[in-house]
Amino acid sequence: MSVLSKLYAYLYIRGFKVWISYKTNAALTMLSWIIPVFTYYFTGTALGNKIVSVLGGGNYTAFVVIGLAFQGYVSSTITTVSQRLRNEQLYGTLEYYVLSPSGVLGFLTYSSLWGFALNSINMIVILAIGFGLGVRYSPFGIMTASIIFILLLLSSFGIAAISGAVVMITKQGNPIAFFFSTFTALMGNTVFPVTALPWYLKELSYAIPLTWALQGLRESLLEGAGIGALLNIIYILVAFTLITLPLGLYLYTKAFDKARKDGTLSQY
Amino acid sequence: MIETHSITKVFTGKKWKVEALKGIDFKAERGKITALVGPNGAGKTTLLKIISTLILPTSGSAYVDGYDVVSQPNDVRKHIGLVTVSDRLLYYRLSGMDNLLFYGSLYDMSIKEAKNRAYELLDLVGLKEWADEPTMHYSTGMLRRLAIARALMHDPDVILLDEPTLGVDVASARKVRQLVRKLSVDRTIVLTSHFMHEIEELADYIYILKNGKIIAKGSPEEIIKMAGKIVEAKLSAVTPSLERFITRYENGYAVIRGPKSLVELYTSDYHEITPSLEDAYIALAGETEQDFRPYQYRRGGAWARERPV
Repeated sequence: MSVLSKLYAYLYIRGFKVWISYKTNAALTMLSWIIPVFTYYFTGTALGNKIVSVLGGGNYTAFVVIGLAFQGYVSSTITTVSQRLRNEQLYGTLEYYVLSPSGVLGFLTYSSLWGFALNSINMIVILAIGFGLGVRYSPFGIMTASIIFILLLLSSFGIAAISGAVVMITKQGNPIAFFFSTFTALMGNTVFPVTALPWYLKELSYAIPLTWALQGLRESLLEGAGIGALLNIIYILVAFTLITLPLGLYLYTKAFDKARKDGTLSQY
Repeated sequence: MIETHSITKVFTGKKWKVEALKGIDFKAERGKITALVGPNGAGKTTLLKIISTLILPTSGSAYVDGYDVVSQPNDVRKHIGLVTVSDRLLYYRLSGMDNLLFYGSLYDMSIKEAKNRAYELLDLVGLKEWADEPTMHYSTGMLRRLAIARALMHDPDVILLDEPTLGVDVASARKVRQLVRKLSVDRTIVLTSHFMHEIEELADYIYILKNGKIIAKGSPEEIIKMAGKIVEAKLSAVTPSLERFITRYENGYAVIRGPKSLVELYTSDYHEITPSLEDAYIALAGETEQDFRPYQYRRGGAWARERPV
C-alpha cells in the first residue's frame, strides 16, 4: 500500500501533474521523442546505411531505432536524479525528504521512476515509428532483451546515484550527468557503431554499460538471439551493475552524511 | 520534550573555522512554547537543525522525546515536524491538497489516509477553500500556514518553527500565532523569531543566543527583569554604544530607551518606563555587525558569515 501511494505521489502528483502544468515544455518533450527518429532516418538512409553495412552493423534504420529507444533510459535516469536533487535544493524541499521515513534512498528510487516512465513512453513511440519504417522485431529475443534491459537499468541507477552524490557536493556542475547526457548518443553505440569511432573513443565507449546493452538488445530484438548467445554481454552488464550499484548507493548516502556534517544540506 | 547538553558545532573551511554553537544546554517541555531569539548569526537555525537531525553536532548530545539525534535520527524524525525559512518550501505548481498528499505519502500514508489528514489540516490552518488552488497563487501567509500543515501531516509531538511569520502581513501573522498557540496544548513547540511582540505573546520560556552562546534564559517576565531598569530619554547626540537603543527621532532629538545604568552616564534627564521584552532584548543581546551575506548563506548561521562572498 505504501509503495502504491508513493508511486502515485511521485509519478502522478509530483511527476505528471507538474510536468503537464508546463504545457509548452510537455509538447516539446513529446516532439523530441519523435523528431530524432526521422532525422536519423532521412540522413541515415543517405549516409548511415553505408557506414553501418561497411562496418557490419546491418540496417541503419533498425540500428538507430534500437539505439534511440533505449539510450534515453541511461541519460534520463542519470540526469533526472541530478536535476531533481538540484531542483529540491533550489525549492528548499530537500530537507523534508531527509526528514521523512522514505529518506534519501526513497527519493533516489522513486525519482528515477519518473525518468523511467517518461522513457518507457519514449521507447514505445520510437519502436512503433521504427515498425512503421519497416523495422521488424523478433519475438524470440524478448526474454533476453528484458534481462539485458533490467541490467542496463540497474547499472544506470548506480551511475545515477553517483551523479546524485556529485550534485550534493558541487550543487551545480555535474560531470557525470554532463558526460552521460552529451556523449552517450555519440559514443554509446547509439547512432553510430563503436567500430566507426577512433580507437581512443572506442576504448572509452567500452567502459559505458550502454554500449554493451545496445549491442545485446540489437542482437536479441532484431535477430532473435537467445541468452546463450549473449551470455558474454550479460556477464559484462552484471559486472557493471555489481560495481556501479553498491558504489553509487555508498557514495550517495556518504554525500548526504557529509552535507549534514558540513551543514550544507540547505545550500544551493 | 527536547534536551541538549553542551552542544557545540564547529564549521570549518579551507581557510576558516567558526564555532557556531559553544556548549548549548537547552530544554523545551511538552505543552509549552519555547523561543530561541538572538541576532542574525547567533546560532538559532543551527541549533534547530541539529535538533531536527539535519546538521550533525561537533560534540555534546541532544535528545528529542528521549531519542538521540546522532545515533537514532530515524526515531527523532518520526517525532518532529519542521518548518524552515525559505521563499519556496512547497511545489508551486501543485495545489495545497496535492502538496500535502505528496508529503503524506513520504510518511507511508495511504492516499486515503493522507487525503483525510490533509482535509483536516487544511481546515485547521484555514485553507480549506483554497485546497485545490495551485500554491503559486497563495499569499506568503497562506504558504506559511500550508508549511505548518505539512509539518503536522504525520502528527508529530514536537514542532520546530524557524521564523514562522517572516514576511507575513499582520492579519496572517495573527492567524499563524493563533495556530501555534492551539498546537502547543499537547505538543513541544520551539520557535525562532525576530519579532519580540510575537515572542512576548507566545513564549512560555525564552533562550537568548548571541555568538553561539546562551546569554539569557527564562520566562518573558524573568527576561524583562534581567534587563534591570529601563529609561527613556531624548539626546541631541548619540554615541555608538547607544545607537541600538534609539527608537525614533523627534525634533532633531534621538529618543532612546535603554538601561538606566547606561543612559544616566549621558544624561540626567530621563524617566523610567515599563519595559517591554524588546527593550530587554536590546539591552541584553544588542546587535551584531551588519549582515552582508547573500540569502543562501544567511540560513546557514554564524559560520557562513565568515565565508568569502
